[in-house]
Amino acid sequence: MARVNLDGSGAGFRRTDSHVRGLGRSNPNQPAEKPLLVMEDVYKYFRRDVPTLRNVALEVKRGEFVFVTGPSGAGKSTLLQLIYRKHTVDSGRILFLGRDVARLTERSIPFLRRNLGIVFQDFKVVPHWTVYENVAVSMEILGSPVRVVRSRVAETLERVGLAGRGNERTERLSGGEQQRVAIARAIATEPALLLADEPTGNLDPALAIDILTLFEEIHDAGTTVIFATHDHALLQTSPHRLIVIDEGRLIEASQGLRAWSARMHSLSA
Amino acid sequence: MDIRTTFARARRGFRDDLRLHVVAVASLVVAFLCLGAALLGVENLARVAERWTQSQHMTVYLGTDASESDIAQLRLVLDSLTEVAEVEYINSARARAQFAEQTEMGADVGSLPAEAFPASLELALHASANRTRITKIGERIKSFNAVEDVETYQDWFGQLGSLLDAGRKAVGILALLVAVCVVAVIGNTIRLAVANRRQEIEVLKLCGATDRFVRTPFIVEGILQGLTASVLSLVLLGISYLSLRGQVEDTVVTLTGMQVVFLGPLTVLGVVCGGGLVGALGSALSLRRYLSV
Repeated sequence: MARVNLDGSGAGFRRTDSHVRGLGRSNPNQPAEKPLLVMEDVYKYFRRDVPTLRNVALEVKRGEFVFVTGPSGAGKSTLLQLIYRKHTVDSGRILFLGRDVARLTERSIPFLRRNLGIVFQDFKVVPHWTVYENVAVSMEILGSPVRVVRSRVAETLERVGLAGRGNERTERLSGGEQQRVAIARAIATEPALLLADEPTGNLDPALAIDILTLFEEIHDAGTTVIFATHDHALLQTSPHRLIVIDEGRLIEASQGLRAWSARMHSLSA
Repeated sequence: MDIRTTFARARRGFRDDLRLHVVAVASLVVAFLCLGAALLGVENLARVAERWTQSQHMTVYLGTDASESDIAQLRLVLDSLTEVAEVEYINSARARAQFAEQTEMGADVGSLPAEAFPASLELALHASANRTRITKIGERIKSFNAVEDVETYQDWFGQLGSLLDAGRKAVGILALLVAVCVVAVIGNTIRLAVANRRQEIEVLKLCGATDRFVRTPFIVEGILQGLTASVLSLVLLGISYLSLRGQVEDTVVTLTGMQVVFLGPLTVLGVVCGGGLVGALGSALSLRRYLSV
């Protein structure tokens, strides 16, 4: 079970590397736990009259793999950005590790993000840094000792299929490899929740499936994943929980992909 | 964030923007070199002033009608003063000879009238004698009938003091200008470095870096720029000093009676620490203005 640091204004999130191991893992022998993430009646407006997200309610349990899908501009990225506090909800609340994300002070936001791993469509790696530097940065932020960083980075690069390539400059890697570097950076600290915002959007279909497989392996190791994508081909290959965002509303595809596909078919008809 | 990580990140920053930092440090070296040269001049001038003030003396010019008994009485009075260390009588002939020797005029001095070389009493004063006291003594001695004039050299010391004060003020203004220059150059360098590293800063923030974690390496870079520039300028100044000393030393010794010396350890330390501090200040001001994390 995750240990949460409750030392004052850090809003209950971890501050350092002292309890990284096992933080994001679920334990199947434990009784039913509180959800890792709860969204209640969330509204977000970028234009006054049109909410980007409306009445969003969502619960994500530890160890779940959740797909979030919907057409471009539906609000998938906004949903994730509210979780990592790039934006703040206009009403409703988001509880992560039991804390209301919207009520965090600016100084506490870094401590929220230390409990999250975030992967983006455009990778957001630093091209002139080496692979090692790009992955190690998330652990340096936690203040991990250099020895620990070295061994953990090596271990993580092996997990994402980049073993022994730490000294290469990231800009010289292919798109798929750069995304693996980004994933390695996101999981190196073993976050409680891994957020992926269209991580396969810039990759060809074969690489996209490779990356999804990598996320599934990370999930199998116990990490909770929210994976936003509009790629139907990816959704059809995996039987995970599916959330659809349509015109800012969140619809749970509770009967799986078939029911959601049927709904999408009816919407387009 | 530990010191090792901070320095590793600052080093990475130097590596990524190497050309930018080299140009900035080169400009700063010139500024620090000007400051160092001015400090060198003032320090040496201060030493000359201090030595001359310590070895102070007074000349009592005697009238042509001063008899031997007048002179003996005057010497008695002077010997009784605690400020006077030594009294030496120089007659007119010896004064003429000394002048001829110092000016290398030789036989030409013989054409000058006897009034041009009055007999005098040369007084060596103790270093503890202060200006006010020396002036008072001079006024008292002037009241003797045998005395024509008294030269206390206080005006000359006053002029030297004024020159030294002006030099110190000039160095102060130069130091201020150098500080402004360093703040501006380092501020601009850090501003460009921040612009170059936008992507890196975004990544850091998304990974949970605090503002302090993002800012500290930039501050360290500013400090390192200031330190590097000040140390390099002192090294260059030292090389110039060593190579020019041989050529000017004889002249300086003849004029002042003292050798030229390099900056003292405290001044060197002050320049180096000042460089670091001003570097940090320039960096901090620039980050405050241009880095919104």
